[in-house]
Amino acid sequence: METSRTTRIVLMIYGIGIIAFLYLPLVSVAFASVSKARYLTFPIRRYTTGWFADALASKEVHMLAMTSLKIAMIVTILSMIIGFFGALAFARYQWRYRSLFQKLVLLPIFFPQTVLGLALLMWFNSIGIIPSWKTAIVAHLVWIAPIATLIVAIRAYSFDPALEEAARDMGASTPVILREITLPLLMPGIVAAGLFSFLLSWGNFPLSLFTTGADSTLPEWLYAKMVSGYSPLVPTLGILSVIGSFLLIIVAFAGLAIYRALRPQK
Amino acid sequence: MRRLDSKLGALSSLPMLAVLALAFIAPLGLVAIFSIMPEKVFSIFNMPNFAAFKTMADQGYYKSLLWSLFMAFAATTILFVICWPLAYGMAKVFKRFALVVTIAVVMSLFVSENIRLFGWVLTLMKGGLFEGYLRHWTGIGFNSPLYNVGIIIFGIVYVYLPFMLFPLAQGISMVPDDARQAARDLGATRWQVLTQIDLPLAAPGIMVGYLLTFVLAAGAMAEAKILGGRAVIVIADDIQTAFTYGQNWSLGAALSMVLIVLIGALAIYGIAKIDLDKIMGRG
Amino acid sequence: MPAKPILRLRGVRKIFGRFTALHGIDLDIEEGEFFTIVGPSGSGKSTIIRLLVGMDEVTSGEIWLRDKRIDQTPANLRPTCMVFQSLALFPHMSVGQNIEFPLKLRKIEPAKRKARALELLKLLHLPEHYYDKRVTECSGGERQRIALARALAFDPEILFFDEPLSALDYRLRKSLEKELKSLHARTGKTFVYITHSLEEAMVMSDRIAIMKTGRFEQISDADEIYSKPVSRFVAEFMGEVNLFDVTATAGRIEGAGLSAAQGAATRPMADKIAATRGATLMIRPEYVQFLQDGENADFEVTGTLQGIYALGSRIHYEIRTESGQILTVEKLREDRHDGREGDTVRLGWNADSAHVIEEPAFEEQMA
Repeated sequence: METSRTTRIVLMIYGIGIIAFLYLPLVSVAFASVSKARYLTFPIRRYTTGWFADALASKEVHMLAMTSLKIAMIVTILSMIIGFFGALAFARYQWRYRSLFQKLVLLPIFFPQTVLGLALLMWFNSIGIIPSWKTAIVAHLVWIAPIATLIVAIRAYSFDPALEEAARDMGASTPVILREITLPLLMPGIVAAGLFSFLLSWGNFPLSLFTTGADSTLPEWLYAKMVSGYSPLVPTLGILSVIGSFLLIIVAFAGLAIYRALRPQK
Repeated sequence: MRRLDSKLGALSSLPMLAVLALAFIAPLGLVAIFSIMPEKVFSIFNMPNFAAFKTMADQGYYKSLLWSLFMAFAATTILFVICWPLAYGMAKVFKRFALVVTIAVVMSLFVSENIRLFGWVLTLMKGGLFEGYLRHWTGIGFNSPLYNVGIIIFGIVYVYLPFMLFPLAQGISMVPDDARQAARDLGATRWQVLTQIDLPLAAPGIMVGYLLTFVLAAGAMAEAKILGGRAVIVIADDIQTAFTYGQNWSLGAALSMVLIVLIGALAIYGIAKIDLDKIMGRG
Repeated sequence: MPAKPILRLRGVRKIFGRFTALHGIDLDIEEGEFFTIVGPSGSGKSTIIRLLVGMDEVTSGEIWLRDKRIDQTPANLRPTCMVFQSLALFPHMSVGQNIEFPLKLRKIEPAKRKARALELLKLLHLPEHYYDKRVTECSGGERQRIALARALAFDPEILFFDEPLSALDYRLRKSLEKELKSLHARTGKTFVYITHSLEEAMVMSDRIAIMKTGRFEQISDADEIYSKPVSRFVAEFMGEVNLFDVTATAGRIEGAGLSAAQGAATRPMADKIAATRGATLMIRPEYVQFLQDGENADFEVTGTLQGIYALGSRIHYEIRTESGQILTVEKLREDRHDGREGDTVRLGWNADSAHVIEEPAFEEQMA
C-alpha cells in the first residue's frame, strides 16, 4: 500500500522515540559515572573521571571482569559448536524428530531465567557439584546455546541442500562436506551466533545470580550493590561494561568490513 | 539420502540435546520431585507429601503469583499497543531505517538489564535526571514515581520491549502487500484493513510476541526489586527466598512448579502452534 | 559394434511410503549415447536420476555400471556425476575453486588442478580470467558452463543432467542446447539428461525415453517419437496433434466425420485398426491439406473454419468438423490458405503421413 509521506515520517519519529526510550537510562548512568559527588543528585555540578581510575585500578573489579570474561568466552565457543550442529538438526536435515527437536530448543528461551537459575542451583547441590563460575557456564549454555542455534538456523534455512549433494556426488565424504561446504557457508551465521553468545553471557545476571556460587560476575556484583545501596562505582562499572560490549560490536563490524575488503575478487 | 539425512540429523542434535537433558530437563524434573517432599529436607529420599503446597496456600503465597501474572499481563498488553506501530513501520514502511531500529534495539539487549533498570532509578528518583533538572530550571519539583506497582509494570514494559517488537514485525511482514491493497481497493477503511487483514494474517507473530513476553515477564524479578523497591513481592522473589534464606527447598520447588506449569502450558501451547519452518524462512 | 551397454537397469522399483514412484524399470543405455528421459512432473524422471546418482536408494532392482553393480554404492563412491537443476555451484568459492573441487578431493596437486581447470574453461568458451571470478558474479549462461566444467573435471563415466536449462530464458536455452550437443560430440561421454520439454530432448538426444507415472511409455529416437508415438500420451506430449477415434471393418476405416478412401494405401492401416480393441488415427497439423474442388486424399474431413492465428513463420487454423471435433492445421506463411472465418472447408491427408495408435482416442476405459 502506498504509505503517505506523513505516515512514514510520523512512524520514523516514533521509532526514534522508542530508541531514545531504550537508551535514556544509560544516559543517566553515564552522567552518574562522571559525577564527583558521592551521593548523586542532578544537575551534576562537578565532574570527575576519578571513579573510572578507581574502578580500573581495583583488584576486585579485575576479578569480577575476569570471571565474566572467562564464562563468556567459554560459553561463546561452546555455543558456536552446539549452535552449528544444532542448526543442522534444526533446519537442514530432514529427520524424523526434527519438529520435536525444534520445539525443545525453543523451550528454554520461553522460560523465566530466575526460575531456571534456582532450579539449576538445586540440581547442582543435589548431585554434589559446588557452584562456581564453571557451573555458571552450564547455566548460560541452557539459555544461550538455543539462541545460537536459532541464529545459525536462519542461515541454514537459506542454504541449498543441492550444494551438499553435489559435493557428495563428486566424491566428498560427510566429514569433507561439513568442512568444505557446510561450515564455510554457515560461517557468517556462526560468527553472528558467537557474537550474540558472548554479549548475552557477558550481560547476563539472572542465571549467574544463583549459579556462580562463591564467584561473582560483573552484573551480579552490580545487582548486589544496587539493592543494598548506592555506590559511585555502580554507574562507573555499569558504563565500563556497556563500553566493553559496544567496543566488541564495533570490532566485529570492523572485522567484517576488513574481511569484505580483503576478500579475493575478480 | 533420506536415510543419511535422518542419521546426520539425529547425530547433530546430540550436543544440544545433551545440554538440554542435563541442565534443563533434569533440573526441572528435580524441582518437580522436590515439590512433593516434606518441608526443610535436602534429599529426595523421603516420603512424599503435599505439605509445601499446603504452606503455599495457607501463607498467602498465591498473592505474589497473582501479582506477577497481573503485572505480566498488563505489561504485555501495553507492549502490544506500543510496539504495533513501530513493528508495522519496520515491516512495511521503513527501508534502511528498519535495519537501524533492529540494530539499536538488539544492542540494548546486550546491556545487562539491571544496569538499564538502575539507569531508570537515576533518571526518575528525586534529584534524578528528570526531577533534578526540572527543579533546577523551574523551581518546581515532583515526588519520585518509584517504588509502586505502576513503575514495576513500566520496568517490565521497558525490559521486554524487544521480545514483543521483533515477533510482531516478523508477523506483520508475513501479511502480503497485495492482500492489503486488494482490501483497500474493495473499499475497506484503514481500520477495517487493520482488523480484517493485518491482525488475522499477523496472528502467528502476535501470538509469539504475547507468549514470549508474558512468560518472561511472569518470572521477572529485577524490575520489582530495583524499580519497585519491593512494593510488591513477585513470585520469583518468593521462590528465591524459599530456596536461599528460607532453606525450604520443597516450598521453593512447589512455588516453582506452579509457575512452571502455568507458563509451561502456555509456552508449549504457543510453540506447538508455530510453524517454525515458515517463520524462519522455508516458506 | 553392439558393445555392452554402459548402464543397465533391471526391475528398478522405488516406493516412498505408500506412493510407488517407479514400477520396476528396465533400461539399457549405450556407451557414448546422449540419452534423454522426458516426462511431466511427477512422472518419476527425477526419481530415476536420484537413484542413478546415488542420492536415493532403490526399493528393489539392480543398477549396473558396466560390470559393476552400483545400486548399493553411496553417491560419493560412484564414478558418475550430475549437473544439478540449481547447478549447485559453491557460492563461497571462485570459478576456479569450483571447477577444481573434484580434483582437490582426489588430492591432485594444485598446479595440475589449475592447468586442467583452465583447459576446461577453454573447452566451454569461458575466458581464462574467469578462473578467479566469484561464481556469484557470473551470469546464468556462464554459471551453466561452470557447472558443466566442474562436472567434466570430475571426468565421470556418465554425466547426468537434471533439467539444468529450465531456469534460463528461451533464447539462452536454445543456444545452450546446441552447445551441449556439440560438447557431447567433442567429449564422447555418455550423457543422460532429464527434462520436461520434449522439444529440448529432440534437439539434443540420440534416444529419448518418455515417462508416465513411473513407467516408460516409449523409448526411441526423436523422429519415431514424433511421427510414430505408441500412445496418445506420447502423441500429445509434443506439440499439436489431431486424433480420431476409428474402427475398421472389411478394409473400411470409419470415424465420426471422417471419410476414408478404400484401397491399397489404406489397407494395411485398416487391417491394423481392425485387429485392436480400439484405435486412434493420428495426423500432425502440418500434414493436413486444404483440398481444392475436385482434389481428393486418402482421408477427408469437412468443417467450418473458425479461427486463424498468425504464429510468425507459420499460420495456425482451427476447423470445427461436422461431428463437432476441433481440428488444427498448420501452414507455412507462403502456403497460407486464403479463407475467412465461417467458410466451409474440405481437409485431407494421405495415409503415409498418418499413424495408427493402438489405443482408443477418447478414454472410454476411464474407470
